[in-house]
Amino acid sequence: MNHVIGIDLGTTNSCVAIIENGQPSVIPNAGGYKTTPSMFAITQDGKRLVGHLAKRQAITNSKDTVFATKRLIGRRFDAPEVQKSIDFSPFQIVRGPNDDPRIEIAGKTFTCPEISALILREMKRVVEEYLGEHVHDAVITVPAYFNDAQRQCTKDAGKIAGLEVLRIINEPTAAALAYGFNKHNDEKVAIYDLGGGTFDVSILEMSDGVVEVLATAGNTFLGGEDFDHRIVAHLLEIFQQSEGIDLKGDTMALQRLKDAAEKAKCDLSSRETTEINLPFIASDASGPRHLSQELTRETLESLVGDVVRGTLKTVEQCLSDADLTVGAIEQIILVGGQTRMPLVQAAVTEFFGKRPHKGVNPDEVVAIGAAIQGESLVSENDNLLLLDVTPLSLGIATFGGHFAKLIERNTTVPARKSHLFTTTRDNQSAVKIRVLQGESETASENDLLGEFVLGGIRPSRKGEPEIDVSFDIDANGIVSVFARDTATGKEQSITVNATGTLSSEEIQHIIEENELYEVQLKQPNEVERKK
Amino acid sequence: MSAKGGAQGGEDRVPRLAPGCDPTVLSLSPAEGYLLSRIDGMTSCKTLQQIGGLPVEEVDRYIDGWVKQGVILFDDDPASPAHHGPGAVPGADSFSSQIDPSLDLTVAIQRKVLEFETGLDRPYHEILGVAVDADVKAIKKAYFALSKQFHPDRYFRRNLGPFAERLERCFKKILEAYELLSDPATRAEVQRELAASEAPAKAGAAPSSLAARKRLSRLGRQLKVFEGRKRKAKTFFESGMSAFRAERWLEAAGSVRLAIAFDPGNQAYKEAFSDVQRKAHEERAKVLIKQGDGALEMRNYREAAGLLEEALQFRPFDAELNIRAARLQWQAVGDLRKAKEFAAAACEIDPTNAAHRRTLGQIFKAAGLKSNARRELEAALKLDPKDAEASVELKSL
Repeated sequence: MNHVIGIDLGTTNSCVAIIENGQPSVIPNAGGYKTTPSMFAITQDGKRLVGHLAKRQAITNSKDTVFATKRLIGRRFDAPEVQKSIDFSPFQIVRGPNDDPRIEIAGKTFTCPEISALILREMKRVVEEYLGEHVHDAVITVPAYFNDAQRQCTKDAGKIAGLEVLRIINEPTAAALAYGFNKHNDEKVAIYDLGGGTFDVSILEMSDGVVEVLATAGNTFLGGEDFDHRIVAHLLEIFQQSEGIDLKGDTMALQRLKDAAEKAKCDLSSRETTEINLPFIASDASGPRHLSQELTRETLESLVGDVVRGTLKTVEQCLSDADLTVGAIEQIILVGGQTRMPLVQAAVTEFFGKRPHKGVNPDEVVAIGAAIQGESLVSENDNLLLLDVTPLSLGIATFGGHFAKLIERNTTVPARKSHLFTTTRDNQSAVKIRVLQGESETASENDLLGEFVLGGIRPSRKGEPEIDVSFDIDANGIVSVFARDTATGKEQSITVNATGTLSSEEIQHIIEENELYEVQLKQPNEVERKK
Repeated sequence: MSAKGGAQGGEDRVPRLAPGCDPTVLSLSPAEGYLLSRIDGMTSCKTLQQIGGLPVEEVDRYIDGWVKQGVILFDDDPASPAHHGPGAVPGADSFSSQIDPSLDLTVAIQRKVLEFETGLDRPYHEILGVAVDADVKAIKKAYFALSKQFHPDRYFRRNLGPFAERLERCFKKILEAYELLSDPATRAEVQRELAASEAPAKAGAAPSSLAARKRLSRLGRQLKVFEGRKRKAKTFFESGMSAFRAERWLEAAGSVRLAIAFDPGNQAYKEAFSDVQRKAHEERAKVLIKQGDGALEMRNYREAAGLLEEALQFRPFDAELNIRAARLQWQAVGDLRKAKEFAAAACEIDPTNAAHRRTLGQIFKAAGLKSNARRELEAALKLDPKDAEASVELKSL
């Protein structure tokens, strides 16, 4: 039987797992690492590098090395998150024709799904080399709070990478599946997932193979990267004060600072103090300057304390969505590299009044869960069932710019909900159904998923016609919206396609282009095998 | 079926509505409508005979008639080769045509899905297979167990044919049941609805508490039927009200009465009905009086008396009408008892009218009740001393 691979496509690192002989295992890459940096680079001589190779040359080639595209994928160029990324990125982010952010390196423009596809393809290759056979099917994880457009783009990335994406599942859910694998006790579990770029909390209930997501909440723009930014900003300020030099405009210096900050942050998880040494970081008339700074755990904690406290607000919201108190949670699972930080662990322990579970590897658990879900989908005799939910509310825009939610967030899928609407003017002959996703009561503050017009309404006084609007989400999270005039039986519907993503032609074009490229890449391997 | 079937022990047989039959288009008496609404493919003839307080023969007659009309049918008709003993799943055999062994789904699961799908109209707790008063834990357990059987992910990427949609329909209903019953607020609402749908059945014999509970669930199954009836009621009511606005009172009253028959629990219809009815009564009375006048012209006094008497039912407090009816009864029909009754009513309604008193006195006199006649004639003269007729009558006594 063909394997289904589970891919944790992370902001900073990605990880891939499969189920082998009934047991999940993470597949190490060629270098022996179980995680692969989500980085892509084009070198001066035009070579394309992914993962560790890309990371290794990032400092000397920072302008042409891409990282953290997960923070951009599925967003519009004008979104504040994208603008913030532009400030911190040594590589060029430009406005694409669909108002999407695109990445320009080595004179070539890439869409975000394309960059993600390159990383997914690398993960696919890792498994294929390990198994010695082709794999096609994959389950890919995304942050629970990713919206429809972000999920659709991730799916597109899978397609470009030559994968059939069976399902996009939420990272915390995957973590819970991994934790619950082969366990048969009934438990309520909280997943605290602080990754490189996103923060998610999910509360799940497990009972004899059924995993039900009770609630999920999060922030798609909060993660370890923000901790790094705080350290970088701190170092920049100190350097400015002591040396009088502003390093903000120096992309290479910024990349070195970022690397050093990440390393220092990791060091401080096991030590009280660490030394940051960056010789020759800058130079002016009086000669080269070096950055040498001691950073204590205490300083780091004061720099990021508010961020950590902020995550607990999200945990509280999630608990209240699940209609549970802190005491009802029987197990807390920490996911994501950033949860190694003692301050995070202490905050979570204090909040829940109990220590988090230690049995899972926060870097690998998500990929394992994805593989488990993939296996349970294709296997016939599996005893596992995931009852997943919609992360964001769905509804339509109504008179006065309001948002009427039809499917509340945290609704189990597949689901169907309907509601009656009516006209707002006398003799109104058509209504426009604008399908939105989000939590704001103001329509314009939510994401527009699609729109259509239902016409042919019989002339009558306002408020008299009955328009029955139904939302249907299938198990794959695909949203269809139907509107029916109950008087005439006239019906209109759409299957929602996220806006701002690539068209199928564009995807096909990229796939073809990559195929050309892949032939080049495989040649040396084949030569080696022939030897 | 019917009495004959009952004699053969066929009381356990379970009728169900014929596929595609819409009972709301039939013209039914309230009793028939009530009985038909109880036929749900799960209730046996015996139970049907016991509920609603209808005579057994009547129940049998209705059922017989509907079988002949093709409105209802028995799946386990002895004439057909397949016969189930009591307790067999009703309608199981009708699934055979829908089962497709070439699908990537075992026949047993296909059958299970089809069976479950036919019961999607049951009350929510029955869908989950839990007691009405089951606690949240039991509800959740049932939900998980059913999810394992019906969640579309269990059959991911398999060739399911029409079963893909069926599974999704089943799961959505299971989910709906779980969501509604696991939340105390929505659960209370569900139970109120169940109880409300039970209200029309209260006309029947007082049931034991177990029977009441059984009926509660049976009626729950009928929620959908009731919804259809409610919709029907709404259209009747709306056409009734538009007739009312057009001052077609009789038509309005007829429509609203139908609306109430289809949705007896609706208070708004009943309130509206009293207005509509008053208008309709007035209208009816007017028509009858007009007809009565016509009969008088034709010197058809007996018919006129009958028409006025009928008009009085709709206008009982009309003194003038009472007195006219009294006179006709006295002079044309000779029914002095009725004449006295109407005249007395007129005097009661309008006690200061001398002419009415005098008429009552004259009727008493005709009946030979002299002292009564004297009393009324004196009273008439007291009210109107110039009433010559009264004084003549009094003198003749």
